[in-house]
Amino acid sequence: MPLGSVVFAFVAGGLIVAATGGNPFAAYAGLVCGGFGIACTQGENPALQISNTIVFVIPLITAGVAVALPFRAGLFNIGAEGQLLAGSIACTAIGIKFSTLPTVVLLPMVLVGGMVAGALWAGVAGVLKATVGAHEVVTTIMMNYVAQWLLRYLIIGGPLQLAAGTSKSLPIGRGAELATVLPDSNTLIVFGLPSSVYRVHTGLLLALAAAAVYAFLLWRTSLGYEIRAVGQSQKAARYAGVSVRRTIIVTMLIAGAFSGLAGAVQIAGVDHNLTDKYFSDTTGFDAIAVALLGLGSAVGIVLAAVLFGALHAGGSVMQADAGISGNLVLVLQALILFSIAANFVGAITRRIPGFGRSAGPPPETPTAALMSEAASPPPEPA
Amino acid sequence: MTAVTDVLHLLFTANLWQATLSAAVLLLLPALGGVISERSGVVNIAMEGMMLTGAFFGVTADLAWHNPLLATGVAMLAGALMAAVHAVVSIQFRADQIVSGIAINIFAAGITVFLVNRIYGVQDVGHVGQSELLPNFNVPVLDQIPFVGQVIFQQNVIVYVALVILVLTHIVLFRTRLGLRVRAVGEHPQAADTAGINIYAIRYGAVITSGLLSGLAGAFLAIGVSNTFVPNMTDGRGYIALAAMIFGKWTPFGAFVACIIFGLGEAIYANNSTIHVSQYLLSMLPYLITLIVLAGLVGRSTPPANDGIPYVPGSE
Repeated sequence: MPLGSVVFAFVAGGLIVAATGGNPFAAYAGLVCGGFGIACTQGENPALQISNTIVFVIPLITAGVAVALPFRAGLFNIGAEGQLLAGSIACTAIGIKFSTLPTVVLLPMVLVGGMVAGALWAGVAGVLKATVGAHEVVTTIMMNYVAQWLLRYLIIGGPLQLAAGTSKSLPIGRGAELATVLPDSNTLIVFGLPSSVYRVHTGLLLALAAAAVYAFLLWRTSLGYEIRAVGQSQKAARYAGVSVRRTIIVTMLIAGAFSGLAGAVQIAGVDHNLTDKYFSDTTGFDAIAVALLGLGSAVGIVLAAVLFGALHAGGSVMQADAGISGNLVLVLQALILFSIAANFVGAITRRIPGFGRSAGPPPETPTAALMSEAASPPPEPA
Repeated sequence: MTAVTDVLHLLFTANLWQATLSAAVLLLLPALGGVISERSGVVNIAMEGMMLTGAFFGVTADLAWHNPLLATGVAMLAGALMAAVHAVVSIQFRADQIVSGIAINIFAAGITVFLVNRIYGVQDVGHVGQSELLPNFNVPVLDQIPFVGQVIFQQNVIVYVALVILVLTHIVLFRTRLGLRVRAVGEHPQAADTAGINIYAIRYGAVITSGLLSGLAGAFLAIGVSNTFVPNMTDGRGYIALAAMIFGKWTPFGAFVACIIFGLGEAIYANNSTIHVSQYLLSMLPYLITLIVLAGLVGRSTPPANDGIPYVPGSE
């Protein structure tokens, strides 16, 4: 039960807070208030807190899918972050370059552009895995850093920089923006606040669509069958006539497109330009926790994304109300990962065949098919 | 073209190579840790987190006790503690070692800033005094050798320590019975088990050693190269070390060569502000070079056969 991991993490996190002289109950009250708008003590507006949480949830769902899909093929995509940044960069670049175009043209352009950029970023790892057997964990880590430094270059002294001395880009054109759910008005009062403060945007629909596409792709298409077959046994998949190489590359391309979409939606729906905030973005890493905690199912991913989104949104409220650093959220997230990996790995490998696979050796002859030989023995309960 | 001549000119200055060696050592220590851990069959992508934890506890201990050597010991212990968690989770619980490594890195990023906030109340931990830093040491006589003297014998004490550890790691791994055992456990644990080698003990030892070395690198970073702790100050060095390990084909001296190459890039930028290439583009190079290596363009890089596979007694 992944719920057990969450409980374990909160208990351990509470102990850490208590051990360092803080009040864990106050800390968690702050988190609950900030995340779900419940039990607020400092007069926070519940509707606003929920809106903030949803803003965090949107990219987590899409990026979570980008990690979960390769899991099904026995691939570990820890490059969602780099792919997401590539998507953000492409979205911004296109949104600036063609800023005068109307929404009907520009919005699809920036979103598709982000997806293509993310797909290319992940495609590098997919191609290297399928052709020379380079481990995707290592290649995606490298691509993460390439994206991070590229981003810094572009907005600090590079072609996308707004003005000398700043570390942000020009804003994208109006036509590239995703509409917010509520009108951007200072006079319309919703739940006691002007509607412009609610930043929930229509990217939510895209995120939910991504989760639906993921489920459909996996269970209702022949590609999904091939992905699952490769994840269970590359050897068996090969006997069944599945091209393992092709499946690996296509899986990574699709995963990258999801990550890229997450990055593009973040720009189009929330920020409207690249800022130094993206240097420390962790959505792609949070997505790993989302995919694992969600046990790779579309509904599970959405629920896990809600949990982590609430944690992130709650962190700042906890810091303000209880004086506990918002970084406790990272600690909780790491603890959840530990306990999923340590206690529940058996459950996960049963549900996601091929996940408990190895960082085994690339085969002597670089055929992807042989890589299945490196599969790890099934983990047994310790 | 001036940039090219500038770089060429720079390549003949001792300052540059002195800085290169120092920057390389920061990467070398965690890279050696990675080599040792992965040779024993435990994938370790957690050097970043172990180093960061070491950096934080090194600074905290130094601020409290004003003793850089003691602080370095604390940093190494902190790194080892994180490594021990990775070891327990991945060896005992046979968890996915990559998930565990990611968790360590996230945990380290979170807990260090959380503790800065709890202990110091603000984002700034304060600075370590000059006399409380890990000292530079000029080796008598040898430091007078032209060029080489400045490059190798006018360095921080940790640089000498690291070079000794480099040689020791090579000797132990390839010239001793212990090293043979470590490699046997990483290549074919079933055979090693049959031969009476305690697989778990070797793997625990190797992973914890990687934590000690990463913690040492953290101390060097925080109270040698710098004099304070800044959130996320390792800035990807643990991952570059991972790249160096792969680049160096899981050998100590191979990793060292990679660290020198990566360190040179850093030193070139630090030593010459007239180069009109973005620092950020230069910073990309280690990762791009590693991708090229992985693509097989510079020869194949093959990990130990049982790297990342938990050992289950009695399994085939």
